[in-house]
Amino acid sequence: MAISMRRGALLLCFCASLSGCYALRGSSGGGETTFTPPRQVNAADIVLPDGYLIEAVATGLTFPTGVTFDEAGGVYVVEAGYSYGEVFTTPRLLRIDPGGAPTEIASGGKRGPWTGVTWSGGHFYVAEGSQLEGGRILRIDPEGMQEALVGELSSRGDHHTDGPLAGPDGWLYFGQGTATNSGVVGEDNARFGWLQRFPNFHDVPCRDVTLAGENFTTGNPFQPGTKATTGPFAPFGTPMEQGEVIVGEIPCSGAVMRVRPDGSDLELVAWGFRNPFGLAFSPDGRLFVTDNSYDDRGSRPVFGTGDLLWEVRPGTWYGWPDFHGEHSLADKRFDSPALGKKPEPLLAAPPGRPPRPAAILPVHSSSNGFDFSRSQAFGHVGQAFIAQFGDEATATGKTLAPVGYKVVRVNVSRGVSYDFAVNRGKENGPASLLGGGGLERPVAARFDPSGENLYVVDFGVMLHQGKGARPVEKTGVLWRISRQTGAGGNR
Amino acid sequence: MRATIFLSILLLLLAACGTPRRGEPFGPLTLSAQGREGEEHFMRHCHQCHPGGEGGLGPALNNKPLPGFMIRLQVRRGIGYMPAFPAKTIAPQELDALVAYMKELRHGERPQ
Repeated sequence: MAISMRRGALLLCFCASLSGCYALRGSSGGGETTFTPPRQVNAADIVLPDGYLIEAVATGLTFPTGVTFDEAGGVYVVEAGYSYGEVFTTPRLLRIDPGGAPTEIASGGKRGPWTGVTWSGGHFYVAEGSQLEGGRILRIDPEGMQEALVGELSSRGDHHTDGPLAGPDGWLYFGQGTATNSGVVGEDNARFGWLQRFPNFHDVPCRDVTLAGENFTTGNPFQPGTKATTGPFAPFGTPMEQGEVIVGEIPCSGAVMRVRPDGSDLELVAWGFRNPFGLAFSPDGRLFVTDNSYDDRGSRPVFGTGDLLWEVRPGTWYGWPDFHGEHSLADKRFDSPALGKKPEPLLAAPPGRPPRPAAILPVHSSSNGFDFSRSQAFGHVGQAFIAQFGDEATATGKTLAPVGYKVVRVNVSRGVSYDFAVNRGKENGPASLLGGGGLERPVAARFDPSGENLYVVDFGVMLHQGKGARPVEKTGVLWRISRQTGAGGNR
Repeated sequence: MRATIFLSILLLLLAACGTPRRGEPFGPLTLSAQGREGEEHFMRHCHQCHPGGEGGLGPALNNKPLPGFMIRLQVRRGIGYMPAFPAKTIAPQELDALVAYMKELRHGERPQ
């Protein structure tokens, strides 16, 4: 009888473990589906906590990425003009009238993506992450006249110039994402499309770093059938030496920087980020960023790293390319299914010790634009509301279930996040997967000047069907969440 | 032995059929003091792969009827690509709180 019980227990463990075995199961990301236009839009298909209401303000947008408001409460949206999948449209700044109709204020030729917008001092400021020409911060007046305040930003690669955000101190803050996944240019960057355009493009550190001597031999997309060896912070096909010093520069990649509204005094705030897409100041004046973490792809894949919400402390190094949060990638927890081992450090010595993140968000959630509640009328004052764009499996790595596709609320003092706006049903995912007219890919969230309404920018449908991203134009939506009386405590 | 095999298959089927969704929009989750502490440990160590106990990089947890000792075993030992979390990472009393939270989460409100 004892032997039977033991065998039964072992069988139980075996069956239970099989149901979750990562290696055995296929990928089930949210974009791994099909879609036939037009997009259905139905706020009733979105669930929020009791007392909150969501409605669609504008529909039919193409790749919207940011929202802002003027002093009169006018609503403005930017359309990116570029999407992963190498789809180029026209970046635009649009005014959304109360009926939801857009009016173009300015456009940007082929200089997309425009990744965000803010209004300050009578002007719009736009983060232009131009995939073709490099990043800039633009100032646009209400009549649409444009002026570049900062240029030559390191934005031709995987990640772009992000933000910008007008700080309470009068500075303009913005993020600059990295060129690569984890420091090394590789075949995955050819699949993104930029490596062929800019074969010498690579990451640039913000401060001097000394290399550990790791190099990576891969296939050569420039000469199929041959190999190439590439080191970190170097062009494709350029190996680097142990002990070699890479001189830091400003502007650089993987950083939060700031500039005066007239374009003067560009300076580094903090570095060692990977893709600091969302920026917001808390009600007590602290700067936070969302940072998309490593993907399981490329020459140096990194497995199992959730997106991070950081409090930004000036002068701090936040760990890229050798840490996730507080943890070195040399930690056994980062053993990669693709590598069969953990990633080796690229730097001979870390430039610092990253602090503990304010929150750790799901792997591949693409936690992006966010804002803090400041109004008792909305509730949850001091908590962050983060738009999660959703996974891009399998391009970024496999997931066992869709991740993201929602808006979450984060208590930054406890590091706890809660679902806030999700699609109705028993499973998580975008509306295109689940059916119905709910959320697709929330990419930005911003409170209006009253603080009573949270606007959520929904990028629209982006599929991933094994050949890279396939975005669908005219499926973007601007949502508005407001609170009915009596809801919204503080947990 | 037959009964054991049947029970194992039944549990496997139950795990596949139950929805893992819990989440705030589907009803407030009232936690004990220990569960509230465990919630913070869950967010720090587990949430990135098992978002809210639902599936993500890792499988869903909320619909798996694992007893506490098996949760502890899996956390300490890891399994497959799930890393191990030794006592220096999650202290014994923290693991107790984490298990308490996971049980309270598992029994939380289901979506309508």
